[in-house]
Amino acid sequence: MEHSLIDPSLGEAWRPRVIGVRSTRREDDAILRGEGQYVADVRLPRMVEACFVRSQLAHARLLGVPLEEARAADGVVAAYAADDLDGVAAVPDLHKGGRPVATYPLARDRVRYVGAPIAVVVAADRYAAEDAAELVVPDLEPLPVVAGMDEALAPGAELLYPDWPDNMLIDAPASNPDVAEAFAGLRSVGGSYTIQRVGGVPMETRGVVADYRNGRLTVWTSTQYPHIVRTMLHYVLGLPEGQIRVIAPDVGGGFGTKAQIYVEEYIIASLALRLRRPVRWIEDRYEHLVTAAQARDVRFQLEAAVRDDGSIQALRGQILHDLGSGEMYPPGFNPSFVAVGMLTGAYRIPHQQIGVRCVVTNKTPAGAYRGFGMPECTFALERLIDKIGGELGIDPLDVRRRMLLDPGEMPYVTASGARLDSGSHREAFERAVSEGERLTERARARWADNPDVRIGMGVATYTEGTAANYFFTSGHWTNQDSCDVRFDPDGGVTVGVGVSTTGQGLHTMVATVAAEALGVPIDNVRVVMGDTDTSPHGLGGFASRSTVVAAGAIHKAAGEVREKGARIAAHLLEAAPEDLELVEGGFHVRGTPHRGVSWGDVARAALVRTVDLPPDVEPGLEAKAVFVPPGVAHAVGEDGRLNACPTYANATHVAVVKVDVRTGIVAVVDYVAVHDCGRVINPLIVAGQVHGGVAQGIGGALYEDFGYDDLAQPQSTSFMAYLIPTASEIPPIHAEEMESPAPEIPFGVKGVGEGGIIGPPAAIAGAVEAALAEFDPPELTATPITPQDVHAIVTAAGRAS
Amino acid sequence: MRPVEQPTDATEVELRVNGDAVRRTVPARLLLADLLRDGLDLTGTHLGCEHGICGACTVLLDGAPVRSCLTLAVQADGAEVTTVEGITPAEGLSPMQQAFKDHHGLQCGFCTPGFLTTLESADPADYPDDESLRELLSGNLCRCTGYEHIVAAVRAAWNRD
Repeated sequence: MEHSLIDPSLGEAWRPRVIGVRSTRREDDAILRGEGQYVADVRLPRMVEACFVRSQLAHARLLGVPLEEARAADGVVAAYAADDLDGVAAVPDLHKGGRPVATYPLARDRVRYVGAPIAVVVAADRYAAEDAAELVVPDLEPLPVVAGMDEALAPGAELLYPDWPDNMLIDAPASNPDVAEAFAGLRSVGGSYTIQRVGGVPMETRGVVADYRNGRLTVWTSTQYPHIVRTMLHYVLGLPEGQIRVIAPDVGGGFGTKAQIYVEEYIIASLALRLRRPVRWIEDRYEHLVTAAQARDVRFQLEAAVRDDGSIQALRGQILHDLGSGEMYPPGFNPSFVAVGMLTGAYRIPHQQIGVRCVVTNKTPAGAYRGFGMPECTFALERLIDKIGGELGIDPLDVRRRMLLDPGEMPYVTASGARLDSGSHREAFERAVSEGERLTERARARWADNPDVRIGMGVATYTEGTAANYFFTSGHWTNQDSCDVRFDPDGGVTVGVGVSTTGQGLHTMVATVAAEALGVPIDNVRVVMGDTDTSPHGLGGFASRSTVVAAGAIHKAAGEVREKGARIAAHLLEAAPEDLELVEGGFHVRGTPHRGVSWGDVARAALVRTVDLPPDVEPGLEAKAVFVPPGVAHAVGEDGRLNACPTYANATHVAVVKVDVRTGIVAVVDYVAVHDCGRVINPLIVAGQVHGGVAQGIGGALYEDFGYDDLAQPQSTSFMAYLIPTASEIPPIHAEEMESPAPEIPFGVKGVGEGGIIGPPAAIAGAVEAALAEFDPPELTATPITPQDVHAIVTAAGRAS
Repeated sequence: MRPVEQPTDATEVELRVNGDAVRRTVPARLLLADLLRDGLDLTGTHLGCEHGICGACTVLLDGAPVRSCLTLAVQADGAEVTTVEGITPAEGLSPMQQAFKDHHGLQCGFCTPGFLTTLESADPADYPDDESLRELLSGNLCRCTGYEHIVAAVRAAWNRD
């Protein structure tokens, strides 16, 4: 067994022992054996099933909801519309940034999107509930439909919220005299860049089971943040939080989609209170595709003041963001502000001025999706840099090289105020480009004989803010998270954390970090998360935060426990605490390895043989700690800047695409991601995060689209239309990790969850454009890039020649 | 099994599930997935889309992969049904399951049982290279892994470099 020293201060002498090892995951055995416990697997006696009646119109006045027929149907226990659910308040508009939407869980007088819940039917089983729900025909009076942003902003547009003067939920103009000065003196290059509506679409839909017994409400829900669900249930249902227990069981993917608190969570909980029976609702895929949070749907007008060498002195522009109906908590506008904050990425661009305008329309409400504004801003800026290169006749890679930040410039405060703490921006770029060029040559050689094939390569560089203070717009003014560490008498450790998993491997991460910090074997660490009764208070899993905040909290708590353990061990060994060192499994006297005690010896003394304790040491061997990521501001400063994250990851992606100019079909044949998330806790899990994000990014760049017609009827209502990429669409992903430890975060870790998804839209658009160079393509400014788009470019070139 | 008039009419089915004889009276419209999950508590079979695309609910019907969300329980009358629980050893993991674990071929795991059942019925000889292997896997959607580690796991389980 390795007995390397762990310095309690984790200073220069610290050498990772289990951090950095390719450990397999502790989560896996149960899942692989089919023994996972997802929300749909919760079974309770007397449980009944709920089914929602949803609006089939995008915009209508709700005049009445006849429920008699449904209530009389076979197997039906109850049926409710909004008027029947007294005691269910409107969802509070906790954020102060935009206009209030005052969403009631069931629609009261108006529906604003197809899928809005109007009534709920409860029956003995799901078959009976669905049959009865079909008998409910709400009395809807159609209203003019606002099907998109341009319609929403047109003069005389129908208002979704009649007491608002227009359809803007938030309008945040920007001004900056430095930007005006830059544009007065320099050439300007600009464009308009659009990312379509996509979403997380986890393989497990949403679902809620609620049960009220013995004066307590228990809610199992497929969520990314159980504690916040509990707080919101308290606000809407009026129960004290102590009477509510929220459990996130195994969650089958989240990706931000489950970082919302949904109206169904309030409704199902209220039904359990009302019926005194367990109630289950498992969303079906159609419901998911029309009601779960959708994202992006952004048009980014961006203009650069460009120096003669192609480098950028200033950026100005505006983000126009379609929030759908806006009936979502936390509100859907947050990604646009992240896009402002992260716009300049890894580049030295001194000034920016970006306004944000978020518009309500009759589409599904917008919310979170992995990447959260960063794919949008990266797409706009990277496409614009390619355009600058083209207009100035400079290789766009060289334009980037002139602006890339170097390690010596860290910490670097960007034009938006983001304080980049560390990174390998230039080296990651050069490595990715070099590997991408090699793979591009290989692809050219492979398809050299095929006259229909063109090969192209595109590049995207970005920074990824991690552990972001996203909650400042949600009304939860905190970024804290916590853990408690407690020993059992046999030397086993239980670590409870406030972060919550959706399958990324957080249990393994927490166990690894705790084992590292305490010098215990990983298998001796039990991890508790996702249950408000047993996990300490925390905000959950989102914004690539879990590793940063959990590791920070564990570092603090473990430090306290170690210190106490050392005092007890010293007493047991009749030595001075400062003469001890912590080794794998316990303490020994420095230089005398045979004089040692195990954590079990220490824990027994602390818990069940307290007579052995030194006189000045209290019984017990546990500690709780709260970690607040350092350096994060909660509001924009007087200079208009804001640092929203304690640490920033970085990466460069290169896509190599094969375009069939006969069919228009684009295939990504190789994908390179050189990525830096600081110190890597588990290389296997980090690679998995990068791969998964890249695959979702490829989906967004080429296949996925939540389209709506002129009446705002959703067009992607099944997996026949919403095209999740399969193994045949996703190429080999060449992921390489660099490690620039976060200097101000314990263990040097940064977040990794969102990085992979940020690069693909920009990299793939650049690659397709490069592949089509001989056809003189217009700038590709929108995703998804479809075979029709490519075909149109090729045919137009044919006509022109 | 006697003929039924209505989808809600009850009918009797007899089948074997993971080797055990099962006799149940079920509504004619009951999905095989719901019989397995709610009737037999075999919750390893997951429902991801209920319209036959995602493959999470894949089970083997007389050895062939089927979508249990598109298969009625009555269609399994007289058949042998194998779920993920049926391809799992009493202790530990099967070689394919172990390969998924070793290569991090799963994250949230919701889709995983469908991949395992699909692979259980596949003959490696029919999928000699990565392209054909990916084609095989393309009947199952995964939203977490980007498939890279799943491909690696299968290659390892099939003893390919």
